Amino acid sequence: MEAAIANPSVSIQNLSLNYGAVSVLQTLNLDVAEGEFIVLLGPSGCGKSTLLNCIAGLLDISEGRIFIKGKNVTWEEPKDRGIGMVFQSYALYPQMTVEKNLSFGLRVAGVPKDEIAKRIARAAEILQIGPLLQRKPSALSGGQRQRVAIGRALVRDVDVFLFDEPLSNLDAKLRSELRVEIKLLHRNLQNTMIYVTHDQIEAMTLADRIAVMKGGVIQQLDAPQTIYNRPVNRFVAGFLGSPAMNFLKGHLEAGEAPVFKADGVSVPLGRYQFDGDGSRAAKPCVFGIRPEHIALGEAARAMPFTAESTVEIVDPMGSDTLVWTKLGGQILSFRVEADKTLRNGDAIRIGFDPARASLFDADTDRRL
Amino acid sequence: MAEVAASMSGDALRREAVSRDALGPSGTKPRHVLSRRNILLYGTLIVVALYYLLPLYVMIVTSLKGMPEIRLGNIFSPPLEITFEPWVKAWASACTGLNCDGLSRGFWNSVRITVPSVLLSIAIASVNGYALANWRFKGADTFFIILIVGAFIPYQVMIYPIVIILREIGIYGTLTGLVIVHSIFGMPILTLLFRNYFTSMPEELFRAARVDGAGFWGIYLRIMLPMSMPIFVVAVILQVTGIWNDFLFGVVYTRPDTYPMTVQLNNIVNSVQGVKEYNVNMAATILTGLVPLIVYFVSGKLFVRGIAAGAVKG
Repeated sequence: MEAAIANPSVSIQNLSLNYGAVSVLQTLNLDVAEGEFIVLLGPSGCGKSTLLNCIAGLLDISEGRIFIKGKNVTWEEPKDRGIGMVFQSYALYPQMTVEKNLSFGLRVAGVPKDEIAKRIARAAEILQIGPLLQRKPSALSGGQRQRVAIGRALVRDVDVFLFDEPLSNLDAKLRSELRVEIKLLHRNLQNTMIYVTHDQIEAMTLADRIAVMKGGVIQQLDAPQTIYNRPVNRFVAGFLGSPAMNFLKGHLEAGEAPVFKADGVSVPLGRYQFDGDGSRAAKPCVFGIRPEHIALGEAARAMPFTAESTVEIVDPMGSDTLVWTKLGGQILSFRVEADKTLRNGDAIRIGFDPARASLFDADTDRRL
Repeated sequence: MAEVAASMSGDALRREAVSRDALGPSGTKPRHVLSRRNILLYGTLIVVALYYLLPLYVMIVTSLKGMPEIRLGNIFSPPLEITFEPWVKAWASACTGLNCDGLSRGFWNSVRITVPSVLLSIAIASVNGYALANWRFKGADTFFIILIVGAFIPYQVMIYPIVIILREIGIYGTLTGLVIVHSIFGMPILTLLFRNYFTSMPEELFRAARVDGAGFWGIYLRIMLPMSMPIFVVAVILQVTGIWNDFLFGVVYTRPDTYPMTVQLNNIVNSVQGVKEYNVNMAATILTGLVPLIVYFVSGKLFVRGIAAGAVKG
């Protein structure tokens, strides 16, 4: 996939996990560099949380090996792996105060008292939970609880942080606040972090690299922008981006100047960057274009491809407006500024640059 | 039926009248304390409650009367002359067989049976339930099914084999033997109770504790135990009442000088010789039932909470 990382902080080699006949993770390989922020992204049931639990040692794997900091930890207990974990439901011990919650792991490990106090003071300062130390978790708000949960991983002085959908239980506003805090935390600590989420915005904003997963297999592992602009298959293309990418069914006409043809539409693909070279044979394919890459009116005229259409539905979303129209009989949505006044039935001109589009094989769903 | 229809159309009329009213309903909905529905509901509840309390009333009243007064036959009339002598006699000097020291002997026997049985069975069953819920070992499901099936086997089937086993071990007729029997028979239902309770606890809590480095006993003692007080209260109530009220095991596995209170009570009440001292019998019965009653009254609220938490989920 790409050049091997010289000294991976976490290295997963040929990992498989089966429950009886059901295969949850299939021969999975993943190298995480020192200090890297990796996001495992995918729909529910794709195996991303399972993978995280395997790394943490909470699930026994069927095959393969896991290295953390160059040490084979495949058979190690969670506590011996040098990891700290933050859970979706916070998982704070309800009968203990915040301070006791933070120190539990250290007390179990028999760390001296003054060392515990030092580490708690440091975590409390980083996360600004000093005033909450003597409270019980039930007296905290969701955001505060999650901060304490992060603190519990922090005091253990670990190499790798594992986050299992840590923000999913919070409301939208808190979520974006804590997202920024986690990003700052990563910048300050420079620890390796592996973060599981189904929220693509969290993935895009936090990650150094995103691993998009489906059916226990990593579909694509790349920097967020690469995944966004050059998805390797139709699943990745459709999963990232909101509103979702438009897909037009049609076929590819081969030749010197390849063209995408659907009902009454023909898009010249001269500017499109094909993956590899052997894939330009004529075949049925799917043409994908993101709503934000479609221009309207005057701007459309400047684009390599333009077409006439009519407005079907207008969805105002506040910051911008989503317009639904049809191209070659197939539904297409695009984004315009919120101040554009469009009405149902208006005749419009739309245009886009095929260089920003993605072309997928209709049979294999792979990028062409 | 006609009445119902009439009242319904009346309601409809009223509703129409209200909606035509410019003001209409607003604010708190008025409550009628003496509505027909309330009278019917609470009336029924009160009557049923009285019906069930009547025997208790008769017992208390009779236990406070002297024998001459009882012979008059007015079992519902309150005592003309209140006497506590039957209570004293039932506790301290009623005769069962050769012993004439009343129920006090049985009471202390029962205490010495109940306390260790309750502690032992709950200690073992809670660890069982915890292991079954959180540490999924190989064959855990099979083990659990076998345990549950155990709950449905009638006790009577096992009485004689257990007599032989206890005899061979050499603890037949001792309190130790009875304590072991009670602990074993409490196991299926208690394990089920604890397993369901621990299963309903968030899995992530257990995982967090493992990441924090706590082991089997560490998680059990420091995380699970402090969180599961309600279910422990339920288990204590179930076991205290069950073991205290037990008659069958008590009569089979002990000897006359180690009989529990229930067996002694039976021997007092069912004696076929001499005068039937109804007042002493009533006092003895109330005394015997007092322990479970007190347990219920003291822990009623916790009991309901624990049952709801443990039984519904899982």
